[in-house]
Amino acid sequence: MNVTGFAQNQHDLSLLKDSGSTEVILGMREFSRFGRLEHDSFIKLSMAAKSLGMKVIFEWDILMTEEIFDDCAYKIHTYAPHFDVLRVQDPGAFHWAVHRSEKPIHFIAESGNHNLEGLKGWCEAGGQKIERIVLSIELSRDTLKEYCAKLPVPCELLGLGRILLFYSPRSLLAPLNPEKIGVNEEIEALGESEESPHKGFPVLENRHGTFMFHIKEFCLIEYAQDLASIGLSWLRIDQRFNEKNFFSESVKIVKRTAMFENFKAAYPQDLMRGFYHVNKSDVLFPKLKNMRLQNRHGDYIGEVLEAEKSSHLAILVKLERGFKVGDKFQLIHPKGEIFEGEVHSLRNVNLEEVEVVPQGELALIPFIQGVWVKSQLFLKSNT
Amino acid sequence: MKTTVLPEILAPAGSLEKLKVAVLYGASAVFAGGQKFGLRTAADNFTLDELREGVIFAHQRQAKVYVVLNSFLHDKDLVELPDFVRFLEEISADAVIVSDLGVVRTVRSISTLPIHVSTQASTLNVEAAKFWKSMGASRIVLGREVSIADAGKIKREAGIEIELFIHGSMCMSYSGHCVISNFTQGRDSNRGGCAQSCRVEYSLEDLNTKEKKSSYFMSSKDLQGLRLLKDFIDAGIDSLKIEGRMKSHLYAGTMSKVYSEALRYFEEHGDFLSEDLIRWEKELSKVSHRAYTEANLSEPAGADSIFNERENFSGGEWKMVGTVINANPNSGTVIEVRNAFNQGEELEILPFRGEAIVVVASEIMDLNRKTLARTKPTTIVRLPFIHGIGPSQLVRQKTV
Repeated sequence: MNVTGFAQNQHDLSLLKDSGSTEVILGMREFSRFGRLEHDSFIKLSMAAKSLGMKVIFEWDILMTEEIFDDCAYKIHTYAPHFDVLRVQDPGAFHWAVHRSEKPIHFIAESGNHNLEGLKGWCEAGGQKIERIVLSIELSRDTLKEYCAKLPVPCELLGLGRILLFYSPRSLLAPLNPEKIGVNEEIEALGESEESPHKGFPVLENRHGTFMFHIKEFCLIEYAQDLASIGLSWLRIDQRFNEKNFFSESVKIVKRTAMFENFKAAYPQDLMRGFYHVNKSDVLFPKLKNMRLQNRHGDYIGEVLEAEKSSHLAILVKLERGFKVGDKFQLIHPKGEIFEGEVHSLRNVNLEEVEVVPQGELALIPFIQGVWVKSQLFLKSNT
Repeated sequence: MKTTVLPEILAPAGSLEKLKVAVLYGASAVFAGGQKFGLRTAADNFTLDELREGVIFAHQRQAKVYVVLNSFLHDKDLVELPDFVRFLEEISADAVIVSDLGVVRTVRSISTLPIHVSTQASTLNVEAAKFWKSMGASRIVLGREVSIADAGKIKREAGIEIELFIHGSMCMSYSGHCVISNFTQGRDSNRGGCAQSCRVEYSLEDLNTKEKKSSYFMSSKDLQGLRLLKDFIDAGIDSLKIEGRMKSHLYAGTMSKVYSEALRYFEEHGDFLSEDLIRWEKELSKVSHRAYTEANLSEPAGADSIFNERENFSGGEWKMVGTVINANPNSGTVIEVRNAFNQGEELEILPFRGEAIVVVASEIMDLNRKTLARTKPTTIVRLPFIHGIGPSQLVRQKTV
């Protein structure tokens, strides 16, 4: 398993090199969401990395409206001689990198790419320039296994680091201290909500907007061997937010030369595996609405709009052929109870006895005890 | 003389009834979702029969229907997608709205349906629009971070239809880039499970000063771009989108009516008068909403775009009291009541075009023609016949 990581200074770079990394990701303040390198520090670190024989990956992962995009696309040429690979996430940056740059591309497909067809599409669109694809941490092990086997390029996954939950271009922390509005400095905070059991979400504002992270860090380094066995090529260790850089210790876990339990005990943040074992983030959806009311299929007569005790049920007829005397029906109550009946008496909105009430009009049938408004009416034959 | 091409008004249709309301009140297109593949799992959404009926209804009135497939679909969801796409093609849906590349490729491989790239894809610049165009998209629904001026530039330089939001609730995050619900509630926000975690109050401790403040810092005001309508037109924006498939019939109707009336006015006069803008704004304000902002439409959204309040909505002084089901001299004006009103109270009925009609509920009867002093929600009542009123028209009332 190859391990990659970030360097924000010479010390970070040395840790990567000493741990056997063959590459380093460098983030400049202007191009990278969390990059802190300026022009000079980037050039210096890039040269240092090259002198160590390391490949330099230039991180351009911000999302950009047009003006910012133009500015970045213009300035990036200045830095091109100092990096080997372009790492992009914005589809615009991707398209630009494919058509306007000679550099190989690492495409970050971490947001909204949860199917093989789409990932193959990015690879095809990038052609020979795609050198690596960075997969989402929401993918389960089984899905990762399939993707690593079927994608035509090596895959990378976050092995250890913060989980980004929210990315807004707006300045959201500075307004809490009006003197900081427009200052463009980094502001860090911890957020908690009474409506969430989780406390202490790290929140960061910088020149690119406001970011919120999970209270726990994502960690799969203990599964590195397993990930290697299913075909993952690269694990990324992101230590940009910790005071002490645990890159070396992390690589020891990856290489199984240290105990994960000891690492976990020493690590400053709580850790989680996310959806590695299984992703069931859609199982609660059926509970978000009353599914009993969603079954309005071909024999759907309509919905009860009024249930007047001892008098009538008023139904707005949706059935194209209309609602007729002699029709057998089933009524499905919002709580699921089913009533059955047959139309012996039918009145229209003028209270006239009729044989049929056409689509779009109000039909009145005798009241049925227990039936409520919003009950759904179906022709019995196919319900 | 140069002819100005007016943009379409694209309204939300959370259900078949709302689709009809939006179209009848002037929307030139609606967007709707089936039971799967959309981002509004909790909305009623459409059955296949309802989608078919909705398309027929809209097409009979020269309106278009775009169907959302804008979840970030997982592989297992993609398996079920082709049958639904073929069905949409069979019923002559006008386009599908898609967020991810896998869905774009799937749709393109089995149909000729036009593909609109959803705002969920956060397309923000010319190069991104060019990318999606090269993948087969015919329209881009730009991210809500894009200004009108930039949207015009993207249209010109990428050579693709552009849709831009003009009204409605806003994600504070870049759309498609918020996974709070996924990791804190186990509900995939980008597959319809958003738990609206951005709308709650947070206690924030500044790590530098250790000062603690409480704030609804991630909650955005609602977008309202009425006063910028001429800028949208001048920039050549093809479609003006109104957010809100989860919102009420009154919302769908009022938004469709106001924005389509404003466009018709512009078509006739070539400009807007401030008195008309004020009148339309008053109408928009009669529907429940958070405080309004123009967000990023003219310049990047500032601190005043944050809705730093508990979820209390303005416009609550007006309520929807019901929908007209039938109106003729025999039946009277038959109304499905959603909120109660009393005999003698003033109501407003919204015709599909023109000023609201003020009526006094001088006499209320139930369906059995028994006189009532007060209506109840989820009942049907009769008012005297009112000339010019017809089915599907909305009835509202001022409450204070």
